[in-house]
Amino acid sequence: MRLLFLLATLLAGCATAPPEAPSPLPPAPAAGAAPAVPAVPAAPSAPSAPAANPAVERLMASARADQAASRLGSAEATIERALRIAPHDARLWQQLARIRLQQGQYAQAESLAARSNTWAGGDNALRAENWKLIAQARDARGDDAGARAAQRNAERYGR
Amino acid sequence: MARRRRFWPYLRAGLLTLALLAAGYTLYLDFRVRHEFEGRRFALPARIYAAPLELHVGLKVPEDDVVRELRELGYRPTARADGSGWYLRNGAELEIALRPFVFWDGPQPARRLRVAFEAGAVTALSDAQGGELALARLEPLPIGGIYPTNNEDRLLVRLSDVPKTLVKELIAVEDRNFYSHWGFDPRGIARAVLSLGSGHVQGGSTLTQQLVKNFFLSPERTIRRKLTELVMAVLLELHYSKQEILETYLNEIYLGQDRDRAIHGVGLAAQFYFDKPVGKLSLAESALLVGLVRGPAYYDPYRHPRRALERRNLVLRETRDEGFISAAQYQAARATGLGLNPRPSTGTTPYPAFVDLVHRQLRHDYDEADLRSEGLRIFTTLDPRAQAAAEHALADRLAAFDRQGRFGKPGLEGAVVMADPQSGEVQALVGGRDPRYQGFNRALDAERQIGSLFKPAIYLTALEDPSRYTLATLLDDSKFVWQPPNSEPWRPENYDKQYHGQVPLYLALAHSYNVAAARLGTTLGLERVIATARKLGIGRELPSYPSTLLGAANLSPFEITQMYQTIASGGFRSPLHAIRDVTTMDGRPLKRYPLAVAQVFPPDPMYLLTAALQDVVREGTAQSLSNWLPPLGVAGKTGTTNEQRDAWFAGFSGGRVAVVWVGYDDNRPARLLGATAALPVWGEMMAALVPEPVAFPQPEDIEQVTIDPQSGLRADAACPGALALPFVKGSAPQERAPCAGNPVVDNVKGFFQRLLGQ
Repeated sequence: MRLLFLLATLLAGCATAPPEAPSPLPPAPAAGAAPAVPAVPAAPSAPSAPAANPAVERLMASARADQAASRLGSAEATIERALRIAPHDARLWQQLARIRLQQGQYAQAESLAARSNTWAGGDNALRAENWKLIAQARDARGDDAGARAAQRNAERYGR
Repeated sequence: MARRRRFWPYLRAGLLTLALLAAGYTLYLDFRVRHEFEGRRFALPARIYAAPLELHVGLKVPEDDVVRELRELGYRPTARADGSGWYLRNGAELEIALRPFVFWDGPQPARRLRVAFEAGAVTALSDAQGGELALARLEPLPIGGIYPTNNEDRLLVRLSDVPKTLVKELIAVEDRNFYSHWGFDPRGIARAVLSLGSGHVQGGSTLTQQLVKNFFLSPERTIRRKLTELVMAVLLELHYSKQEILETYLNEIYLGQDRDRAIHGVGLAAQFYFDKPVGKLSLAESALLVGLVRGPAYYDPYRHPRRALERRNLVLRETRDEGFISAAQYQAARATGLGLNPRPSTGTTPYPAFVDLVHRQLRHDYDEADLRSEGLRIFTTLDPRAQAAAEHALADRLAAFDRQGRFGKPGLEGAVVMADPQSGEVQALVGGRDPRYQGFNRALDAERQIGSLFKPAIYLTALEDPSRYTLATLLDDSKFVWQPPNSEPWRPENYDKQYHGQVPLYLALAHSYNVAAARLGTTLGLERVIATARKLGIGRELPSYPSTLLGAANLSPFEITQMYQTIASGGFRSPLHAIRDVTTMDGRPLKRYPLAVAQVFPPDPMYLLTAALQDVVREGTAQSLSNWLPPLGVAGKTGTTNEQRDAWFAGFSGGRVAVVWVGYDDNRPARLLGATAALPVWGEMMAALVPEPVAFPQPEDIEQVTIDPQSGLRADAACPGALALPFVKGSAPQERAPCAGNPVVDNVKGFFQRLLGQ
């Protein structure tokens, strides 16, 4: 019995790790509890796998080209434009964090990478990348301990 | 003789002095004419634009809303083979001929679009040839300007852009000898005198004199001024060509009034009266403008269409009589109607409250003089759909209160601020019940007690320490007296004057219990709670009194919106801002206002707070929001102040955070609750915008645990009213509620039930 329970917990753990319930109050009242709460529809551009929106893809590509050519102002404007279309797309927040890092705005870069993390869902590679960005930003600001902690997080998700 | 001899030298000296004086004065006038005419650039107002509508597949926008925006942009609902600026509706498909527009990131040429809609969303987007488009941007709606003194507005045109017929009409009516005189025209004056009372139109002043008058002189009518005008006109003619004088005249001339905005120059007049560039004006249309020169108010075609028509036809007749147009042209033009642009006048702006905010934010970076003269282009964050929804919701609700008849005069007022929680972009701002009124901007300047809107700062401070506080922690809502040193004791009361004993934290917030909140706040420490409020974005110093905990501080709706933006974004504060980009008149980028984000709280406590604010809507003081919106999609907080002077609602959905205030300007008791006065405005406005549900992915360190709300302990199926609450992992109570059974058995049972779909 005990084993079965553990197994169940494990299974449940696998199914939900990393968790990505769309809203703080998922409708999970105890069985028999009343009144049942209707389910919140997942946000359409929910984390981890944003629906491929051609507009967003095009803007991202355009911003990348701008970044490569060091047209950072233009890249920034383009990503902001994409964010207005898909504010929950973790990749966009990450790209903006990277642009800020290139611009030397380290505090912004760190906050934006953290913002990306909140929308990262199950995408551990993306999270690892965000923590790397945070580590670089902290390093650049002279926060060595913070940078090391961020680097450890990057490695944890990078595995 | 002797007397004569003695007299002559005096006379000569006198005359010489006079001549010298006259010459000196002329030289002075000459200096002024050259200096001012050359140095003079027309002051051009800064132009302010709303955010452009970006069309892409998947965008949730009803076709009607797109059409409304096109209409407001002056697009016409009929195809024109040649030009742009029209749209066609074919069922659920929209064909749009976009005008060219210079955006902050470069020019966008004119282009054709096809947009398909289904169930309130864009399902396909292509160009005229059927090629798929990823993205298409409509031109942004002009929403006003920052005007020179006198609110003069104009669109500069070159003489080469002005139709030759307009110039001919002007000359035929105002100054027939323009090309041959030297600034003044004795023949014209003689004719004017002779034709007095004959119904003829010719005045005595040349175009040059009129220009001098408008440019350099005050409107008084004295001989001296008339002489000065004459000399200056001659000087102007000496220094400048007829073409230069004419071009300046065409840009200077006053041609109408749009509420508080003065319409100057033929460029703006063409747009204002006919919604066309001046080059596209027909013979009859330009004749109407020329007819207005003599008296824009007297011949106002909107107010006196008959008079304006007669005047126009007179201009046409004179033009024909001068031989500038043929009899056939005259007959054809005469036969047309006025053809006026039907758009209602908007004055300097239809959105004075928002433009006020833009102006204040611009003043940080620009000189007032530059804003009023350099023709800067300001691209803002205003969402015209959100603005319309906010204006309507507030006006409707206040009108409904008026009809109840118990609110007296002056009536209730209100304000709304709406922003994008992800970026801090202000989407809508309403400063009072009449959104067109340029006066007291309550959204920014009404400083009112905020009441329970402050409570999230208390609860967030608590939830930051999961070892001591969770959503299920029981708070004490029994009688509470706070005795600060050297001052009166403070005895907070609940709205219902009852005490509720032990209440789980989330319910204390949901029902907005004052006593539990006050006790919690003083336990946590006033300074800590105030520090939380500061981090949430309350910029001003809050008084260090316990009453601050219950919202005694005065704040504006705008300041409260900043606080709730931080909450709505999950702890990422973005300064509320109204401007995206500024460019020069010709489109050169000057300044960007980039998205700025500061993480001020970690995700875990923000997630818990958001859950609690959703509970406010689900089972607390904002339950009635379900009349407008599905309750789980939104989170928020009601606020009501002492003697019900202020009714507030602050809340958010997935894409919008908004604050509504309702009350009296003179701060007298309104006898209204946040839930009955401000909440309905909020609900109606949000429902009109079909909001996305609150989206906050559950952080990794959060787990859901089923709780018995009576005891705040772990529950199971046997517990009535049990519900799942989020907890920071490890912080949920271990102890089981009296109603709950054996843990392991129940968990496994629950697992099989789920497995079997029961």
